[in-house]
Amino acid sequence: MATQESNTVEEVQEEISHEITLFAEPVYHVGNFNITNALLTSWAVVVIIIILSLALCSKLKAIPGKLQNLFEVVVDEGLKLCDQVTNNRALSVKIFPIAISVFFFILINNWLGIVPLGGFGLIERGEHGLAFIPFLRGGTADINTTIALAVMAVVGANIFGIVSVGLWKTFNKYVNLKALGGIFTKVRKDPTVIIVAPITFFVGLIEIIGEFAKMASLSFRLFGNVFAGEVLLVSMAALVAYIVPIPFLFLELLVGVIQALIFSILLVVYFTISASHHDEEYEPARHADASHAGGEHDAHQNINKPARPNGRSGGESIIISSNTA
Amino acid sequence: MSDMWANLMDSIISTFHIDWKIIIAQAVNFGVVFAVLYVFALKPLGKLMKERSERIAKGLDDAKKSNELLQKVAEEHKQNTIKLRQISIDAQKELTVELDQMRAKNLERIKADNEEWTKQRKEQLEIDKKALVESAKSEVMTLATLAAEKILARKPMDELKDL
Repeated sequence: MATQESNTVEEVQEEISHEITLFAEPVYHVGNFNITNALLTSWAVVVIIIILSLALCSKLKAIPGKLQNLFEVVVDEGLKLCDQVTNNRALSVKIFPIAISVFFFILINNWLGIVPLGGFGLIERGEHGLAFIPFLRGGTADINTTIALAVMAVVGANIFGIVSVGLWKTFNKYVNLKALGGIFTKVRKDPTVIIVAPITFFVGLIEIIGEFAKMASLSFRLFGNVFAGEVLLVSMAALVAYIVPIPFLFLELLVGVIQALIFSILLVVYFTISASHHDEEYEPARHADASHAGGEHDAHQNINKPARPNGRSGGESIIISSNTA
Repeated sequence: MSDMWANLMDSIISTFHIDWKIIIAQAVNFGVVFAVLYVFALKPLGKLMKERSERIAKGLDDAKKSNELLQKVAEEHKQNTIKLRQISIDAQKELTVELDQMRAKNLERIKADNEEWTKQRKEQLEIDKKALVESAKSEVMTLATLAAEKILARKPMDELKDL
């Protein structure tokens, strides 16, 4: 009995580690499945969004209330932002629901990571002694969440491309059989096609790697920014507990919005690129025609300014550079 | 090469604790968020906003039409007022002319009546005068006869007394 008491006192006296880890910590186990604190936060986000959606749905009126007004402003401005990328309202309307869902999911996840509720948690014995495991951790501060979102964004963009321009054109974007076939059909008119077509085919193969790069860039950018923010806040709180972390809290609120916006806009860009015709880049004559055709072609033309050989758009580069800045 | 790649992937997976079960769970979470937002927020809100936009557009269109109609009515009213004023002026002129004519007629009639009356009065006066003269004549003759009879019947001294 006395031995047990002395052990307990030793445990209490042992220093508890509050270090923030690179990965989300499990707080509960259901069989083989680890419920991490990031997953718990994501469930909280789902519940919050369900409550907000139901509250909005139940109070929809022709003359809007405060909540409806806020949502209407967000929807209206979001659509305008989509229009700036797509240059096509019909396309914006199709992409917008998924983009705004991603925006809200990431935004609330980001913000939940900085609420003071992170002070509640478990004390568990790990490899390096006792460690504090908070119940809440920003969902986007876990790479699993950002990978899930990035994979859905890239796969969703390709599915959207198949639905919009067809399976054959989307397939030819990656495995450009059309360009290879052009060697036989266009060689008499343009002998340079013998050199250009294999390069085009190879560029298509690089596009496949590009898709994985998109997933990596999307997931690591979001995870890195949010996780860095959390580390920053913990560091500031460790240095000076009061007042000093407050400006950084506001900064993180802003970063949360910016990161959600960047992810959503990139998603819109990927969807728009997928919904546009890709063979225009390899056929200058048709491209010139298309540039005068308006509508969907205009959207593609706008995004791909200046057009690059690998098909990466100018619009995308602008957004990424602003993010880096 | 493949070993290096596999080691790198293992290292990344172990460092970041990448777990496909959690990735699927997060994907499901997002799926739920998307479905709920789409069904309970975006779809009804979009429908409502579209209806309201149409209603506002219709209201603006109606207001424009009403304004045009109002301008048309105002123009018609202005034209009608001008017409009515013209009619009123014409009527006034006609009335003035008619009144003048009527006045002239009346004056003529009154003049004629007056002349007739004067003539009649003169004739009447003439008749009365003649009758009076005749009456006076007969009266004088009667008186003269009576006087002669008296003179003839009296004495000369009586006559002197009477005188």
